[in-house]
Amino acid sequence: MIGRDRAAPRHGTLGGETFALLRRASPVQWVAPHLRSRVGVSLVFAFALLFPVLHRNDADIDSAANALAYAALALGLNIVVGFAGLLDLGYAAFFAIGAYTYGAFASFQIQPAWSGFWEPFQWLQLVARMPMPTGDVVHFTVSFWLMLPISAAVAALFGVLFGAPTLRLKGDYLAIVTLGFGEIVPIVARNWPSVTNGAMGLNGVAAPQLFGWSFGVDATPYYYVGLGLIAVLILVSSRLKSSRIGRAWMAIREDEIAAAAMGINRVKFKLLAFAIGAAFAGATGTYFVAKLQTATPEMFMFPVSVMILVMIVFGGIGSIWGVVLGAMILQILQSWFLEDLSQWLHALGRLIHVEWLQQIELVQSIEMIFGLILVTMMLYRRQGLIPATRAVPALSLAEQAAQVELAAPRAAERLRVLDNVAYQGDGPLLEVKDVTVRFGGLVALRSVSLTVPARSVVAVIGPNGSGKSTLFNAVTGLVVPEAGKVNLAGYDITRLPPHDVLGRGMARTFQNLRLFPNLTVLENVLIGMHARLHTGAFGALTRLPGTLREEAQAREHCLEILALFGNRLLPRLDHVVSSLSYANRRRVEIARALASSPKLLLLDEPTAGMNPAETLELAGQIKNLHEHGLSIVLIEHKLDVVVSLADNVVVLDHGEKIAEGTPDVVRRDEEVIRAYLGRSASLGSAAVA
Amino acid sequence: MTTGALYLQQIINGLSLGAMYALLALGFTMVYGILELINFAHFSVFMVSSFIGMWALELLGLQGQGVILTGFALVGALVFGFVVTMLGAGMLGVAIERIALRPMRAARGTAAMITTIGVSYVLLNSILLGVGADSKNFPNPMPEMHWDIGGATLRLRELLIWCVSLVLMLGLHLFVNKTRLGKAMRATAQDAEAARMMGIDVDRVIVTAFFLGSALAGAAALIFGLYYNYTSFIIGYSAGLRAFTAAVLGGIGSVTGAMLGGIIIGLIEALGGQIVSVRWTDVIIFSILVLVLVFAPTGLLGRSTTQRS
Repeated sequence: MIGRDRAAPRHGTLGGETFALLRRASPVQWVAPHLRSRVGVSLVFAFALLFPVLHRNDADIDSAANALAYAALALGLNIVVGFAGLLDLGYAAFFAIGAYTYGAFASFQIQPAWSGFWEPFQWLQLVARMPMPTGDVVHFTVSFWLMLPISAAVAALFGVLFGAPTLRLKGDYLAIVTLGFGEIVPIVARNWPSVTNGAMGLNGVAAPQLFGWSFGVDATPYYYVGLGLIAVLILVSSRLKSSRIGRAWMAIREDEIAAAAMGINRVKFKLLAFAIGAAFAGATGTYFVAKLQTATPEMFMFPVSVMILVMIVFGGIGSIWGVVLGAMILQILQSWFLEDLSQWLHALGRLIHVEWLQQIELVQSIEMIFGLILVTMMLYRRQGLIPATRAVPALSLAEQAAQVELAAPRAAERLRVLDNVAYQGDGPLLEVKDVTVRFGGLVALRSVSLTVPARSVVAVIGPNGSGKSTLFNAVTGLVVPEAGKVNLAGYDITRLPPHDVLGRGMARTFQNLRLFPNLTVLENVLIGMHARLHTGAFGALTRLPGTLREEAQAREHCLEILALFGNRLLPRLDHVVSSLSYANRRRVEIARALASSPKLLLLDEPTAGMNPAETLELAGQIKNLHEHGLSIVLIEHKLDVVVSLADNVVVLDHGEKIAEGTPDVVRRDEEVIRAYLGRSASLGSAAVA
Repeated sequence: MTTGALYLQQIINGLSLGAMYALLALGFTMVYGILELINFAHFSVFMVSSFIGMWALELLGLQGQGVILTGFALVGALVFGFVVTMLGAGMLGVAIERIALRPMRAARGTAAMITTIGVSYVLLNSILLGVGADSKNFPNPMPEMHWDIGGATLRLRELLIWCVSLVLMLGLHLFVNKTRLGKAMRATAQDAEAARMMGIDVDRVIVTAFFLGSALAGAAALIFGLYYNYTSFIIGYSAGLRAFTAAVLGGIGSVTGAMLGGIIIGLIEALGGQIVSVRWTDVIIFSILVLVLVFAPTGLLGRSTTQRS
């Protein structure tokens, strides 16, 4: 939708043929959805604007205004659950915090004694002096429009507060903790009568005013405020979603470990999701209370949190228009349809003289419907009414047939993206000194050392379970070594978290592939660039020229990297990676790592699962990378690949380094032969390679 | 009542509540141990089975507190009540597993948990729409016998709760540790994939866990009714959350932990209400839930769950 257009490389530096290839692959995807959606959005908003004029029924406009409030809540929860994948079962707590924040500063609930302290505030029209028999008191009269952002900020603060302790928890535990917070907040509201007026609820909350005109109880102005709120929140959601921030959230949702390894600071981005989601609820709470002019603890209990969850599950988790639609449908069902249907059934009952038909009150069954929707959607349509990811049709046979074109002849030009990655300093690029890793009683690595000189390829080989992948994990910060040191380009990175290791210039792939399965090829590679981009929440929302330029350059950079693999990946930019072949997924993972412009690339069995031709192709591409100055550490079982690529080979067995040297030296080493083939084989000749 | 007697009384109350929470917590912990699933449907299984228990006792002609039985008649009525309620609850649990959760087995992340919330809502509203919102008088045929202990009162119903809970928990302990199916259950909890490869019918183990867990919830529901003399469509939520807290506190996945956690939560509820204020009991319990999950997610007796990375 919005932001989709940025994907098109309008004036790419790519060769004309690649661009032509892109257009051939998916001409409709580039232009049409964007135009179509813009027309669609305009029509929807035009109808929404005209609705109170066309349909002059105050009760219905009021229901629609309420529905807008729930749609706003659904949008907020969608940021937390849909984008970042953090299941929050106590979301209504933030709704309550926003509501009571406005309620406390716009009602007669809090009335401290008057003193000179309040005079400047009186001058700012934030408070009024109210004469009382027992002496003058302060009456808060903070404007609704001012309180909207303030409530959002207060709720965001609580979002960070509640979010911080939950960051380490797994999905279901996180859900329970948020449920606990969701329970605590309304109880506190009930038991703190001096601020909230307890179970009776706040009364006489001031209605919003505009240029001296009070909204009062007429539904129409509230409807338009709600519509404005929704418009803003949809814009915020979609701009965040298609930015660096949205990509980071979705990466965390898809695979936390891979997100960290690709340079995403998980703590920061999870808290950001909590804060922004809470801010949406805070602003909505203010709107809702101003509209109802009262707030009671019952308005924010667990069923409300569940209702919002039902709305986003129904509409489509992660889909902006989906959750709005889901919220609107369920609210309209509740306030119009079930009511009308009950009336019809009563009339029918009277007509055919059936007593029980006249008694039916379908509105009571709304929670039953919620439950059925949750179960049905989860069992039969988990992606919701409007799925967040569009299915892209598979390539046609002709497009697949055009596939064998490889990048090799044009490589020199295309590898320009790697021009500035070569490590220029003196001394070794990577130094691993006496690293020991222990899992409980098992020593996975015992005092392993190795050195990677600049512009070299080092292969790490060894039997299964010898500690090769653990070595990668220890070096990249996924596992904290018990002892030892890791230096990258002379900088100690031993205890750095994974995202900082990537920031320092070391990127990796995983043995068992850790892609972001539900994201597209392009999105996966763009996430690899995360650490090299700077767009923050503000930039993503305002889309200043600098942000747009950065985003366009990022996309171009990704296309150039994907071009390294010829036309293996380029025609599939918009394909979800889980739909790719295994070999292509391996390529995407390498491209993702390359996108971070590393000085050192760690490849964990890059050719696993590839046939001989594909292996040869990839080996050639790795060689190309090396020739451009990239240093590479490679775990590999195929010894011909090792021999053709590596300058140096390190052999691990049972967590210890047993040999090191050039491929020729290593394959004649007695110790290595014994590790691979057992004792008896070592008595024979050197038959490893 | 002296202060000492007051506290003694609260300890008696707390132990009774705790026994009930422990029975309910066992269902959470058994399902979590095997499926790593937080089963919100358990809340409503508890609530629905309290109605099953009520109808079972009413079938014997017991209405409210009007009919008092003694001797064999009382024992017979109670045994009948417990057997019917536990069987009904167990079958409800098995049905939920078959209809709503088995198709979700392969789903990633929190999808299965969201489904259980939906199931819980469906059950809750079935009772609300079918039976009504007002609370129902629960039949209780037990005579008002009580003993005076240091100023506190110990009633027959408390004695009954303790005995029934003790017998059921002992039975479960023996089942899990001494039978073939119990051993299969422990193996599946350790590693379902390996258990399957060793020829264990994992589906059967899961069904057993749901049956036993739900049957124990049924027993807890009957105890609830006999203790408070009422039931209603809303009893599942607060009792369920307390029991869940108990399971977490004891170490989710640990059977002994669930029993211990239940007793502790029961005592905290009774004594906390006495010492602080009943209004804040919920906040105390939810704070325990949050604090344990955040700072000691393995609880008192839990094994450390291996986080799949």
